[in-house]
Amino acid sequence: MPLLELQQLAVRFGGLTAVAGLDLVAEEGSLLALIGPNGAGKTTAFNAITGVYAPSEGRVRFAGREIGGARPHAIARLGIARTFQNIRLFRTLSALENVLAALAGAERSSFRDVGRGSRWRERERRARERALELLERLGLERFAGARADSLAYGEQRRLEIARALATAPRLLLLDEPAAGMNPSEKRSLRELVRRLRSEFRLTIVLIDHDVQFVMDLCDRVAVLDHGEKIADGPPQAVRRDPKVIEAYLGRDDAADGSSPAPATCDAGSREHA
Amino acid sequence: MSVRGIVAVLLASAALLALDAGLPQLLNPYYLTIASRIGIAIIAAVSLQLVNGFTGQFSIGHAGFMAIGAYGSAALSVYVGAGLLESMGSVLPATLARALYFPLPLLVGGVAAAAAGLLVGIPTLRLRGDYLAIATLGFGEIIRIGILNLDAVGGARGFSLAAPGHPGVDLRFEGLGGLYAVVLLSVIAIARLVYSSGGLAFRAVGEDEIAAESIGVGTTRIKVEAFVVSSFFAGVAGALFAHGEGYIHTNSFGFARSFEIVVFVVLGGLGSLTGAILAAAALTAAPELLRGLGEWRMILYSLLLIATMLVRPQGLLGRRELVIPRWRWRWPRLGPRRAPA
Repeated sequence: MPLLELQQLAVRFGGLTAVAGLDLVAEEGSLLALIGPNGAGKTTAFNAITGVYAPSEGRVRFAGREIGGARPHAIARLGIARTFQNIRLFRTLSALENVLAALAGAERSSFRDVGRGSRWRERERRARERALELLERLGLERFAGARADSLAYGEQRRLEIARALATAPRLLLLDEPAAGMNPSEKRSLRELVRRLRSEFRLTIVLIDHDVQFVMDLCDRVAVLDHGEKIADGPPQAVRRDPKVIEAYLGRDDAADGSSPAPATCDAGSREHA
Repeated sequence: MSVRGIVAVLLASAALLALDAGLPQLLNPYYLTIASRIGIAIIAAVSLQLVNGFTGQFSIGHAGFMAIGAYGSAALSVYVGAGLLESMGSVLPATLARALYFPLPLLVGGVAAAAAGLLVGIPTLRLRGDYLAIATLGFGEIIRIGILNLDAVGGARGFSLAAPGHPGVDLRFEGLGGLYAVVLLSVIAIARLVYSSGGLAFRAVGEDEIAAESIGVGTTRIKVEAFVVSSFFAGVAGALFAHGEGYIHTNSFGFARSFEIVVFVVLGGLGSLTGAILAAAALTAAPELLRGLGEWRMILYSLLLIATMLVRPQGLLGRRELVIPRWRWRWPRLGPRRAPA
């Protein structure tokens, strides 16, 4: 059963069409990659799913219900959590507080905290335990008391994931989790994503522009270019798709008509050069 | 309530009673007035800190809400309270009757200001940054000028807390014990609101609204909530002011007053309750203590402010709180610290 379904999703800003007629399905429990060159509309698609932008056209269905145009916090409460391309932590709060904020995020009111009876203490204790557990799962427990902006870059990325997980999501959207990481960090990130997916029974959609990175990680890869989907399928097939190669490398007019370039999509490394 | 809680309440009550009985013997009325103004300034500063420091909105119309609290509670006391107090006095001992009566105008002043805060907050909190500041400033002035034209509360003549029908009733609220009990309760309520995991929502909104929404925090709701709570306590501060002075005029609630409260909050450190308390106390006392310098005092006061902002742009305490380690609002080891190297 599809957990997330985009039908003819379009997002326009004035005259600019950032996403045009995007159809995308993420099956429950699957790991889907959304790749494409810079400016392809990947993050815009995420923003339309999470309610940061209202879709100009088309539908966004999550768990069988239409969520297009709903407010971001309402969508988050339905079970969609995300991370951001340029990390958005609560910078002056501690790592633990970042996670605690997400655990309490959907609470209707903070006024009952003024009373502070034994119930409050119990709730607060449980929340702390849960938050510490999440930090531990992401290898951040020793930074619990540290200010979020004092953490190293990779740790900030993981803290963002911990915060997202604290909302108990069914669908996790990771916006370029591997950005700025070296090959060994990318390897451990891949492991982490795999582990989280099974431990938290998540459906994951992740953005990257590096084909190589998602190749042995994802079940399916969808490729965007100029706001349109140009390929969608198993990684190996997408990797050999001539349209994908063209989007990444451009067309070699001189060689036009001759045999297509051998499809080693290290093409993505263009972005990191 | 825990044993420690009971001990704390007993100690605080003893201290307040001592304050109530002892201070008038020690100090002349002039200093007592300063002491009560400091208490009122503390409530105003701490309540604005919730909006400006923690929730990250910039409101500069706080005096308007104080005015509503002051005039609302004063009108209640003059038109209803005086009669009520008189009939209560005929059955109960005078002190008890007064102790029972005075929470009422404070509450009414607070609720009136909170209601105004809700009305003003819903449209304006959709604005950001400078626009919000200008809108709140505008509303503060609208409130003040509106009251200035209300004849029922004296208009331009000011409003005296004396009920014509009940000449023998004193509506003035005297003694520092009661006042500082209210100050203490207000500070504790706001501190508990902010320093709990539910209260992290305020700070989350203050840090990054998009991220806050992404974890399920309804940012508009949280902002309105902060604004309403903040207005409530501003109203309480206004009610204390009205009943302490015995006479109020809209001049006390203009621009200058609003800015003064913003200065408390910024100078104390945006995001620090104890910073706001210290700044409110120091800056309320300073102009009075410098009075000996005559006309130079305001210049010195300004220089003091400029120097502080140059040396500590993040405010006196930054985002930290000054707490006795064991107490930390019962949240040990949660404050942000440096990462282990």
